[in-house]
Amino acid sequence: MRGISAVPGYVVMQPTTLCNLDCAYCYLPFRALDQRMPVDVARAVAASVSPWAAANDRFSVVWHGGEPMAAGRAHLAALMAPFTGVEHHIQTNATLIDEDWCAFFTEHEVRVSVSVDGPAARNGARVNRGGAPAYTRILAGIEALRRHGIRFSALCVVSDPRPGLATELYGYFLDLGCDVLGINIEEQEGVNERPNSHPAANVQAFWAELVSAWRADPRIHVREIEWTLRYAGAVLDGTADEVLPRQLDPIPTIAADGRVFLLSPELAGFTDPRYGDFSAGNVLTTPLRQILAGAAESADWVPEYLAGVEACRSSCPYFGFCGGAHAANRYFEHGRFDGTQTNHCRNSKIRLLEGVLDHVRER
Amino acid sequence: MSANVDPVAERVHGVADGLTRLIGEARSARAARDEAAGSDGASAVCAWNHFENIPTFYNWNNRPR
Repeated sequence: MRGISAVPGYVVMQPTTLCNLDCAYCYLPFRALDQRMPVDVARAVAASVSPWAAANDRFSVVWHGGEPMAAGRAHLAALMAPFTGVEHHIQTNATLIDEDWCAFFTEHEVRVSVSVDGPAARNGARVNRGGAPAYTRILAGIEALRRHGIRFSALCVVSDPRPGLATELYGYFLDLGCDVLGINIEEQEGVNERPNSHPAANVQAFWAELVSAWRADPRIHVREIEWTLRYAGAVLDGTADEVLPRQLDPIPTIAADGRVFLLSPELAGFTDPRYGDFSAGNVLTTPLRQILAGAAESADWVPEYLAGVEACRSSCPYFGFCGGAHAANRYFEHGRFDGTQTNHCRNSKIRLLEGVLDHVRER
Repeated sequence: MSANVDPVAERVHGVADGLTRLIGEARSARAARDEAAGSDGASAVCAWNHFENIPTFYNWNNRPR
């Protein structure tokens, strides 16, 4: 894995900066503002995306926010219209989902992923702008999806990974009826300055317990478990060197104003005296394909980040599993991009892999 | 880093028998779901799920959330 691919696997679109919730762990700096993406931005992105989509069996456009549904159905439809041959995905807090939105998802073949952190008591960080718990509205939105037979995925933020939690969470998501589950251990990034250092034994036990719970009833695709087993299987087969892609996926995030942020969506909206605004360009003035063709030099921080990836490669025994600490985690934890191991690495990569091995060892 | 000197790989090989059983169970579970490798992927439901069949990695947790 060397360098950055000129062709992404998917693009992330920010139809609005606004979110109707005000979650305690959110990293987004402008979530109280409704800056909407002009349709011209979507047209510019689509001009580059269409050839990529035509050349690949599957190409995704991920509508992310803010809360993407806060842009409204009419505007979201207008933003989707320029794209052809792509899969549309939406990451939503689910609170705005109703009958009309379900019809919209069906009409536009939108694949839905909801953000929910488990049962009501585990959603304390998820509140509306008045500080009231959002869980009842989250669940109402998910129930609307279920009524309409719309399958969905779930992303769950875990702020305090520890023994005794994973079994409860997995059971909850089994009952919720999601097809796919991703677990994000809370990260210290963006405007979220809450510490994310946890006792190693607690995090490792959390992951080991999750494997046990999943193994007892593996109906759900659990992202972290599947990928860990994929890597472990490759190690056993002697093919571990083939797990990482040959080049980094640039994962371009297109902000509402057309600016492009590579590799880490969480960098959007921030500035730094050393790195400027972190953007690699703006699709309103430069085609996305041109920005990505020069990705390695597209922003001041990117060369430093690539040096950081090489530092991870040469120093970390988990590199083959991980591929290097993520850009935003490096920046928001270390203040720069060429450091190596982050708390995110420890929580979500190292302890994950070791937790899976613990599960196997203890069984 | 070769498997012979990689401490992580050594630990993986150290539980090879149990891991092989677990991976086999995961394979069966995956086959029982609609996302089975080799399918047309039409039932994939989320932004990162369908990459299971595409050789990329970062999307699995350098993810939007």
